[in-house]
Amino acid sequence: MFLHNFKYSLKTLFRSKMLLFWTFAFPIILGTFFNMAFSDIENNEKLDIIDIAIIDNEEFENNQMFKEAFETLGDESNDDRIFNIKYTDIEEAKKLLDDEEITGYVLLEEDHNNITVKSNGINETILRYVVDEIQSKKEIVMTLMRSDIAEIMDGAEAKLNNISNKNLSYTMIEYYTLIAMACLYGSMISMFITNYKLANMNSVGKRTAVSPIHKGKMLVGSLFASYVVSLIGIAILFVYTIFVLKVDFGNNLALVILLACVGSLAGLSMGVAVATLIKAGENAKTGILVAVTMFGCFLSGMMGITMKYIIDKNVPILNMINPASMITDGFYSLYYYDTLERYYFNIASLLIFSAVMILVSYRGLRRQKYDSI
Amino acid sequence: MTVFKTFWKVVKKYKGTIILYTVMLIVFGGINMATGDNQIDFVDSKPDVLIVNQDEEKGITENLINYIEDNCNIIDLEQDEEAINDALFYRDVNYVIYIPKGYRKDVLDGKNPELDIKSTGDYQASLAEMMLSRYVETQNVYVKGLENEADIIKAINDNFSKKTSVEMISKLDTGKTGKATLYFNFASYSIMAVVIFIICLVLSSFHEKTVNKRTIISSINYKTHNRLILSASFAYSVIVWALFLIVGMILLGDIMLTTRGLVYMLNSFVFTFCSLTIALFISTLVNDKNAVSGIVNVVALGSAFLCGAFVPAEWLPDTVLKIAHVLPAYWYINSNDLLESIEVIDMTTLKPIFVNMAVIIGFSALFIVVNNIVSRMKQKVG
Repeated sequence: MFLHNFKYSLKTLFRSKMLLFWTFAFPIILGTFFNMAFSDIENNEKLDIIDIAIIDNEEFENNQMFKEAFETLGDESNDDRIFNIKYTDIEEAKKLLDDEEITGYVLLEEDHNNITVKSNGINETILRYVVDEIQSKKEIVMTLMRSDIAEIMDGAEAKLNNISNKNLSYTMIEYYTLIAMACLYGSMISMFITNYKLANMNSVGKRTAVSPIHKGKMLVGSLFASYVVSLIGIAILFVYTIFVLKVDFGNNLALVILLACVGSLAGLSMGVAVATLIKAGENAKTGILVAVTMFGCFLSGMMGITMKYIIDKNVPILNMINPASMITDGFYSLYYYDTLERYYFNIASLLIFSAVMILVSYRGLRRQKYDSI
Repeated sequence: MTVFKTFWKVVKKYKGTIILYTVMLIVFGGINMATGDNQIDFVDSKPDVLIVNQDEEKGITENLINYIEDNCNIIDLEQDEEAINDALFYRDVNYVIYIPKGYRKDVLDGKNPELDIKSTGDYQASLAEMMLSRYVETQNVYVKGLENEADIIKAINDNFSKKTSVEMISKLDTGKTGKATLYFNFASYSIMAVVIFIICLVLSSFHEKTVNKRTIISSINYKTHNRLILSASFAYSVIVWALFLIVGMILLGDIMLTTRGLVYMLNSFVFTFCSLTIALFISTLVNDKNAVSGIVNVVALGSAFLCGAFVPAEWLPDTVLKIAHVLPAYWYINSNDLLESIEVIDMTTLKPIFVNMAVIIGFSALFIVVNNIVSRMKQKVG
């Protein structure tokens, strides 16, 4: 009976085009959009070479320190180059600034330095810092008045040791929420198949309700089929995200697969719970599942990555009961952290979530009896 | 008039769904802007820095902390490594500085002790690193050159107190206009999704086989029929547009009442009209009620992602932007982006915006014509 049910459930599921679109195609399409939109963001956040102009007047010509410093900073063969410098007169510089060809221009005057910029911003701030820095070095040389000053300055460089984790690419969260969404969309599959077993939803349901077979056994067969279907969907999505979109899931593939399986289970149990507990039409049930899933993904950062952080920091309880966030956080902890405690915490939370959902639907389903009229 | 009235009858039938969907997407746009978490868009020139100090806050160490506090936004966080790592990943903090125990003593002994740091590697972090290196370097030089701690601190602070004077020539507060652009750019998604979804849903009732057959044999010309449908759905779109403006006024305030605000409104109106023509075209092509939600999501999300509704257009790869030229939303968003930074509003500065609007109207005309052609073809088959 189990196998019989399993087989026919599989057939029914693979014939529902709508279901296949939402669970198979839609996550892939969305992932492609993510990739198009986000692929350049992090590169844009790195420091670019800043276009500036320097007024080539007498003060500048006489100021050896400034001349040398800007020469190195603007040298094209230098790896640490931060400026692209035009040496020009003031009219030309004003025009360049107006046309937004440069971030700003530097004008040296007898007793102080002047920077003219168009607006506030990071490039403007950096320009100011560099000019400040050169000036302050000049200042040091003047106040200390020592013959070995060059030697002292050589050994004074700050020693900084970067101890941050290497995996810092935060756009990965978007793809993790995508996997979470796909796992939870699996709920639509299990809801769809559970409806076939409910006498109040479906004529097939009426037929099975009067048949002399243990309902639990039948349901398990169908659910197993829907689990298989949703896992196939997730597997396709994984292949696509890893090989085409180049998403980084960390190094532990076995744990990634475990998380996807447990996440799918959570989706499945949610679908069964909605199907059995909520007395409404199929469209309403689908609506509820989509709304719950999308809201969960919203909270776990799909529409703005910082949303997850804001919730985690301020209302952590909300993300502890949100399966989308558990899945996302599980992938995040595999990617970013070396230790696995946080990962196992998420796995455990997902298992508890699934157990609660299944228990609730079991109790709901068990009481359903139909009197003969 | 019958067609027009029937349209609203169907709207009434779907009241629940329509209100839910419309309100949801409008609220969504509101939340998105109010949380203002588009960290991508807003660049503060002060980096967010966290200091973990294991040394006594005295003398040299205290002065370093004061210097960082004056030049950066200090983030106050529970000093637990996991919280720090999370904050770094989500860019709540750009740079973390760990001051080791005995730092002050080691510096005074001329040892130039090493500092542990954590960095996001973006440009705010680079700026923080520039500040820190410069400070430490200056400190090391003065430690070698001077004897007394108080003198060293004084020399450092004197040195840093001389700042280059900066003149700013732009008077426009891009913070406010930036918010308006953010809101209207996001609205391109919401407006498109709502208009297409609802209109397709309602019109699918018109396209039911039996109803459709009745319409075809009626004395009314298919063009007139299409025009009546257009005007009825136009009325609905205007309501959606007005709702967006009301929410916008609540969130954005007085900027909506300026000339700039008027151009934003006009631009969004043209775009709403264009979405409506797309909706009509889709509804003619697809009669299946169930397929509508799938198509809406792909079309609306696709154009939002490709054209820069969620991620500012300047951050998108060039190839994506080139593809986006064939979508109306690109021209709409381009106008919004232009509006953000125009200083003086007059005919010359507004010219590119009007050109964009003309392109969007061109798109709308195209969709109306294609819609008529397709519905005529369908009629012949039917």
